[in-house]
Amino acid sequence: MADRIVTVPEEIDQHIDVALLHTDTRFRFRERLRKDPLFLIGSIIVALSLFLAAFGPHIAPYDPTAATAEIAEPPPALSEWPGLLVGVIRGTNEAPPHWLGTDQSGLDVFSRVIAAPRTDITIALAGALLSLALGTIIGLVAGFYRNWATEIVMRVSDVLQAFPVFITAMLLVTLSGRSVINIVIALALVYTPIFVRLTRAEVMSQSARGYVEAARAAGNRPFMIALKHILPNSMVPALVQTSVTIGFAIILTAGLSFVGAGVRPPAPEWGLMISHGASQLILGEWWTSVFPGIAMTITVFGYAAIARAFEEWFR
Amino acid sequence: MIGRFVLKRLGIAFLQLIGVALVVFFMIRMLPADPVARLVGMNASKDAYEQSARALGVDQPLWQQLANFLGVFSNSGQKGLLQGNLGVSWVTNTPVLTEIRDVLPVTLEIVTYSLLLAFLIALPLGLASARKPGGIADRITLIWGMFAGAQPDFWWGLLFVFVFYFLLNVAPPPMGRIDPLLATPQAITGFMTIDTLLQGRFDAFLSALHHLMLPVLTLVYVVSGAIVKMVRTNTLRALQSDYILYARASGLPEAQVARYALRAALTPAITLVGIFYSVLLSAAVTIEVVFTMGGIGQYAVRSILAFDYPAIQGVVLVVAFVSLMIYLLLDIVHAYLDPRIRY
Amino acid sequence: MAGEVILSARGLNVAFPRAGGEAHVVKDFSLDIRAGEFVGLMGQPGCGKSTASVALMGLVKPPGRIVSGSVSFLGRDLLTLDEPELREVRGKDVGLIVQNPRTSLHPMLNVGSQISNVYRSHNKVGANEAWKHAIVMLRMVGINDPERRVHAYPHELSTGMTQRVLIAMALSSHPRLLIADEPTSGLDVTIQAQFLDQMWEATQATGSAVLLVTQNLGIVANYCDRVVVMADGTIVESAPVREFFEAPQNEYSRKVLSLQRAAQGNDPAAPMARSVDVPAGKPLISVRDLSKDFDIRGSKAKVHAVDHASFNIRPRECLGLVGESGSGKTTVGRCLLRLEAPTGGEIFFGETPLHSLSDDELRRLRTKLQIVFQDPFDSMNPRWSAADIIGEMLDLHTSWRGAEKAARIDELLTLVGLEPSIRNASPRQLSAGRQQRIAIARAIATAPDFIVLDEPTSALTPETTAEIIRLLMDLSKRLGIAYLFISHDLTTVRYICHRVAVMYLGQVVEIGTKEQVLGAPRHPYSKALLSSHLFPDLSHRRVARKERTSLKGEIPSPIDLPRGCYLFGRCPSQVERCRDTPQHLVALPDAREVRCWRVEAGEI
Repeated sequence: MADRIVTVPEEIDQHIDVALLHTDTRFRFRERLRKDPLFLIGSIIVALSLFLAAFGPHIAPYDPTAATAEIAEPPPALSEWPGLLVGVIRGTNEAPPHWLGTDQSGLDVFSRVIAAPRTDITIALAGALLSLALGTIIGLVAGFYRNWATEIVMRVSDVLQAFPVFITAMLLVTLSGRSVINIVIALALVYTPIFVRLTRAEVMSQSARGYVEAARAAGNRPFMIALKHILPNSMVPALVQTSVTIGFAIILTAGLSFVGAGVRPPAPEWGLMISHGASQLILGEWWTSVFPGIAMTITVFGYAAIARAFEEWFR
Repeated sequence: MIGRFVLKRLGIAFLQLIGVALVVFFMIRMLPADPVARLVGMNASKDAYEQSARALGVDQPLWQQLANFLGVFSNSGQKGLLQGNLGVSWVTNTPVLTEIRDVLPVTLEIVTYSLLLAFLIALPLGLASARKPGGIADRITLIWGMFAGAQPDFWWGLLFVFVFYFLLNVAPPPMGRIDPLLATPQAITGFMTIDTLLQGRFDAFLSALHHLMLPVLTLVYVVSGAIVKMVRTNTLRALQSDYILYARASGLPEAQVARYALRAALTPAITLVGIFYSVLLSAAVTIEVVFTMGGIGQYAVRSILAFDYPAIQGVVLVVAFVSLMIYLLLDIVHAYLDPRIRY
Repeated sequence: MAGEVILSARGLNVAFPRAGGEAHVVKDFSLDIRAGEFVGLMGQPGCGKSTASVALMGLVKPPGRIVSGSVSFLGRDLLTLDEPELREVRGKDVGLIVQNPRTSLHPMLNVGSQISNVYRSHNKVGANEAWKHAIVMLRMVGINDPERRVHAYPHELSTGMTQRVLIAMALSSHPRLLIADEPTSGLDVTIQAQFLDQMWEATQATGSAVLLVTQNLGIVANYCDRVVVMADGTIVESAPVREFFEAPQNEYSRKVLSLQRAAQGNDPAAPMARSVDVPAGKPLISVRDLSKDFDIRGSKAKVHAVDHASFNIRPRECLGLVGESGSGKTTVGRCLLRLEAPTGGEIFFGETPLHSLSDDELRRLRTKLQIVFQDPFDSMNPRWSAADIIGEMLDLHTSWRGAEKAARIDELLTLVGLEPSIRNASPRQLSAGRQQRIAIARAIATAPDFIVLDEPTSALTPETTAEIIRLLMDLSKRLGIAYLFISHDLTTVRYICHRVAVMYLGQVVEIGTKEQVLGAPRHPYSKALLSSHLFPDLSHRRVARKERTSLKGEIPSPIDLPRGCYLFGRCPSQVERCRDTPQHLVALPDAREVRCWRVEAGEI
């Protein structure tokens, strides 16, 4: 590990620190992309997921909800792929190839896999961002104004945290009708308590810091102190948690659909696809369930990688 | 001092459970689903509907339903929650408590074994990785920890079925807890592995283990990455602390220094075990569906899809209860080990 | 006094992994220590002195490592010994006392177990005997009620007591060499004096040598035989203490000694403040019977932080407020600005009663009354730039915006000795001294008449302290600002203040001109404080004094205050009458006020 010996003066000389003016506190996105391979991969994955969420159904070769003539066809062998690719470029294939095979009902797996982000990612993003917004506002108020009303809010939040996550999401969605909006709301309800707790803890910790008292000494009104000083400094843990929560939300959405308490078929959704192909999996027709799972795992990994980069920046 | 701590925490847990009961009660009733329609069907006559509604008790005003549920000022003639009665399932007409008593141990068996096994693997690995940063253990830990984020456990379960059952044929088909050809042993504790041993049914015991293999493997896979990361971080922090440096400077034997480090590293992590347990409980729901284990997760799915209010309430309460008890136990152990947090 | 060489370090190199390779934190460190010698190791933070001192035992905090070098101790090279042999030496022949006592003890084991464990690792004794030994050690270092205290956990003891537990552990095997790394940082002055005296006496008795790592010139001047200075990982100066103070060779040494010279009136370019500099007149700030109580959660008892404090401050005057922890001096400062609401008493700013103003009126007065805090980094929003921080005052209280505001910010930055190009820097990127300058710029932004300075240099290195103090004096003269200078460092107080008030347990026990209080204190506590304070003055070394007056015991808790004189139980001049008679501030013929009936009566 000791390939170069670098002498680093730890105490910054008075004349040198001006040179450090434009470093350090920013996230340094571009540099991080170059230096941290995990962050690079994560960013690519996230960008791809967002792209597919926007354009997936449009660029899919087949209609994700329309059955084709080929039923339960396995994906073409890897050796055939170059030939098929050439065919696509030249336009000589009679029909677009079923890259990942077709399922029991004849639906093209590839099209459904890349069309699914529009459902999965959208729901997960909406749910996570909604719980972030709700959680930080409630957390800020509960942390700044510490009186009997906010105590009640915290007790309620505690009770909500005792609820089992998956079961609660299931019953919220099923009993209010399995629509996309209801799933988003259910996610938000389930994840908000975490954000409340995180933000409130950070707000309480920041409120004890000297600059808050200095802001008072400067003559700020209490509300302005909360807004100008405390809020911006308390957001970071919640922001880090958001990326992690998106990953959890994707899995929760898919899991709900898997057990039949989430998105309604025939919408393209990874969990639905996995459950649809589950019975065939045991008989050896693996492609219907395996590919959506791979897509989901990679996507979640991407969001987790970004979350890790944020966490390290925070520290 | 610690006695007061325990009492205080018990009181809080009790209040939280009441809170859970109230919230779940109102939550499911405020949602638009109509359980009566579910039961009698869409084409039932008005009379049939009303009769059913009366039987289920949903025609009564909300506060009366709450009173009946809790068991205070009840007019249903039955006991309520405060007397230990969770009601009767609208689907099977059996008491919810009985049904849950049958299914809960199934889930607990899977989750407990998974957590134990996960710790058995992850703890030594995390410790080794912290003691020699940059060594083999450390590299494995870093890669493994990268998968410590969320994992689609149900998909991994299916994948394991495909690989180990279909391709390699070392695992049983994902149906149930023991070989269907074997006679089911009597349920004493509900833990299949324990019951079979208690009754001397060694063949059934092996079959039970065999059937637990994949579900446990899936859950272990899901949670072990996070455990390794946590052990490594905490141990590193302890090893780099001032008191370990000072212990060495005082000339304490290395074994004692290691004991000092271990105690400091793992004590704060104890409460995290509770979080892992909750995570596994959540993941167990989908795992049970994949492997048809018949635990409380599957029971929950069935109850929710059928709009079976008493069963839903019962499930939420019982699972919340288990979680809260585990947290409580861990908090007590933590307070015993770390004198700084007793108040 | 010094005997043969017991430790000889040569070419010691310690490295820590950094991005891209390794960084050498200690370079080519070579040092000899003789038996019975008291060596002071000084240097700026980050120069590597702590790492070097610990490395002498062959220890490095992970992930660092000792790259090369040798440490010959009593004939053996410690760095070549294997672990079991090294362990014999550590804790037995070489003892270690570290800077932060709280973090050096295992938080989850009680004190008795930890002392016993160390004792048993060097002596073959049973658990019971080791436990008894622990109790004996605690008593020896002056901890009351050791049978009870031995069961305590580290967080249940005060910092002073924890530090004494560490001495007990370090000295229990009568080591030949004691390495003490900033052992008194965070300790009160009188406790520090006790501690260092104890260390001195114990090591004199055993003939141990001491390597004392410190930044405090006062400690060095009063206790050390020899001074070694480090910068950037290497030793830049090594000299006997007298030579060091009289003719320092090194740039850093010279800077550090400059304040000390000025404080003794040796530097004509920077004369210290004299009480006659301030003309008599109506007071700017007038405080009568100020009291502040804090509630304790879960209990009816209250902490009596400030107890009927009264004093005046004239325009352009600097009043020093000195005391140890629990004296209430910080609370007084906060009450003056109503950052805390006083429980009783009156505060007047000119004719305006500050204690009864409404929030809005008070906010308007903030232009005239400001504060500078102890920890500069903590007192600033970490996300804001210097311009934002200073500009906030202008935004709140003036209508200046845009170019006008920017010009004023530049002006302020120049006034405090910073170059205006620093305006976009965030506090994180600046050294503590520069951060404090920005805090001062913020405080003077609206041309205040009065500033509370709450230990403004406690978090700074000695050399930066000198610069900041000079800056503050300069600003006071130029802009006509009065100060309340809260501090425990009598050297700086002696330099900058015109008048001084001494506080103990919430009461003002003596107040008068600087020359009176610091030159010839009358109250027993002031006397003890002054005598415990380690001035970097070689002509009056503490260890050379025949009598080292110090107060007995610990500072009592501000919850359960004594009935009579608060100093009862610790005062060297106490008599039975002091126990029950509450004391009041009384004016003496020379215009100072003292809270002690015996002084008033001329008995002491």
